[in-house]
Amino acid sequence: MTTPLPSIPASPDGTPPSRELAFEGVGVDLAGVTVLRDVTVTLPQRRIAVIGSNGSGKSTFARLLGGLVAPSRGRVAVHGHDLVAERKQVLRMVGSVFSNPDAQIIMPTVAEDVAFSLRRRGLTREEVARRVTATLERYGLAERADAPAHSLSGGQKQLLALSAVLITEPALIVADEPTALLDGRNSRLISALLLDEIPQQLVLVTHDLELAARCDVAVRFEDGRLFEVDDPAPVIARYRRDLG
Amino acid sequence: MIALYRPGTSPLHRLPAGPKLIALMLLAIAITVFASNAWYIAGASALVVAGYFAAGFGPLEILRQLWTLRWIVAVTLITQVIFLPLPVAATNTGRVVTVVMLATLVTLTTRTSALLDAVERGLGPLRRIGVDPARVGLVMAMTITVVPVIAGYAASIRDAQRARGAKPRLRILVMPLLVMSLKHADELGDALVARGAE
Ligand SMILES: Nc1ncnc2c1ncn2[C@@H]1O[C@H](COP(=O)(O)OP(=O)(O)OP(=O)(O)O)[C@@H](O)[C@H]1O
Ligand SMILES: [Mg+2]
Repeated sequence: MTTPLPSIPASPDGTPPSRELAFEGVGVDLAGVTVLRDVTVTLPQRRIAVIGSNGSGKSTFARLLGGLVAPSRGRVAVHGHDLVAERKQVLRMVGSVFSNPDAQIIMPTVAEDVAFSLRRRGLTREEVARRVTATLERYGLAERADAPAHSLSGGQKQLLALSAVLITEPALIVADEPTALLDGRNSRLISALLLDEIPQQLVLVTHDLELAARCDVAVRFEDGRLFEVDDPAPVIARYRRDLG
Repeated sequence: MIALYRPGTSPLHRLPAGPKLIALMLLAIAITVFASNAWYIAGASALVVAGYFAAGFGPLEILRQLWTLRWIVAVTLITQVIFLPLPVAATNTGRVVTVVMLATLVTLTTRTSALLDAVERGLGPLRRIGVDPARVGLVMAMTITVVPVIAGYAASIRDAQRARGAKPRLRILVMPLLVMSLKHADELGDALVARGAE
């Protein structure tokens, strides 16, 4: 499977665009409670695993990148673009995938749902149809194009959610426990796609430490703080020890 | 209840969504206003059945769609029979069924996206009084998407309660269903923002 590289905007002076997530003193308060604090880290790796206990702040970190919560303090930059100052552009560069595929489907049928992602992009109807067909073919959903999205299996629904994100050719994919509700086979399918087949940078929040081990770097959160950033092996080993 | 598009090449499939919607509206009004006795209803039903055949659907499909309406039929009939003589209640119910079957025929032969485009175009003039046609279309599409999901939640709650030995009752279904639906709405809201529909 070959995917054309996503169109990452080049910087004005012609230097190659950065593919870096930069956090500088970032904090997030929700309903008056600080749920993420003092996050300072630079992540240039392609596959970034995010691990940590329940309630440690992983989803908040993912939602920050996906534009679903705003930083209360500090600065976040996605590939050189400031999350707050250039919010619109960053939102277009980031594609989010969540655990529950049902809740990511907006349109009634498979093809319509994928096409929904291309609304307001100034494409002709024919161009949208062409891209939708190509995407559905690439991810093995072409036969179900006109099926009610609801009639797909859990794995196919997650594949649909992912197709709907990938069709926009984002520069960064943020996946918050994308395999949590899938059986073994579908979980392998989705993780192989995310880890080995797409060219995009990936932030993968997961409790599946085998998946985390296949990433290029692991970030561990505890109690709303960045606890450790390193190669996956040592981070996972220490996390396993701490879990007891 | 809300049937989804079945691909096909019949004349009904090829008819643009706008004219189909207008025809549906006119026919629905005509049936509601003028079909005052059983003969008119029979005539209207025959027309609807002919429509299904013309679109390539057989008697089996018609029966299947009728079966999905059984609750509507029951509720309409029972509530009316309390106040009206049986023949009148039956005529009224027949009228409702005919109109719903006609609407189903339109959704069966028209892509949702085409329907929504037509609705958005039709609502265009209302922009001046502050209506956002795109938003209305989006809400309609999401309603169609969400109905089977919520129905699935209801079924799973019923199963869970049965498994624990509780007799399924509406009262104990409502609370968990409400909680699940609200959670779903919350997550769907996230997906909307994430997918750029702010
Ligand atoms: N909208 C909110 N309002 C207030 N507090 C919240 C909100 N969302 C999350 N929190 C709190 O923020 C903390 C971090 O939550 P988060 O969802 O980021 O954790 P997580 O690491 O993803 O956990 P899990 O592994 O269970 O998914 C939790 O204590 C949670 O209760
Ligand atoms: Mg989480």
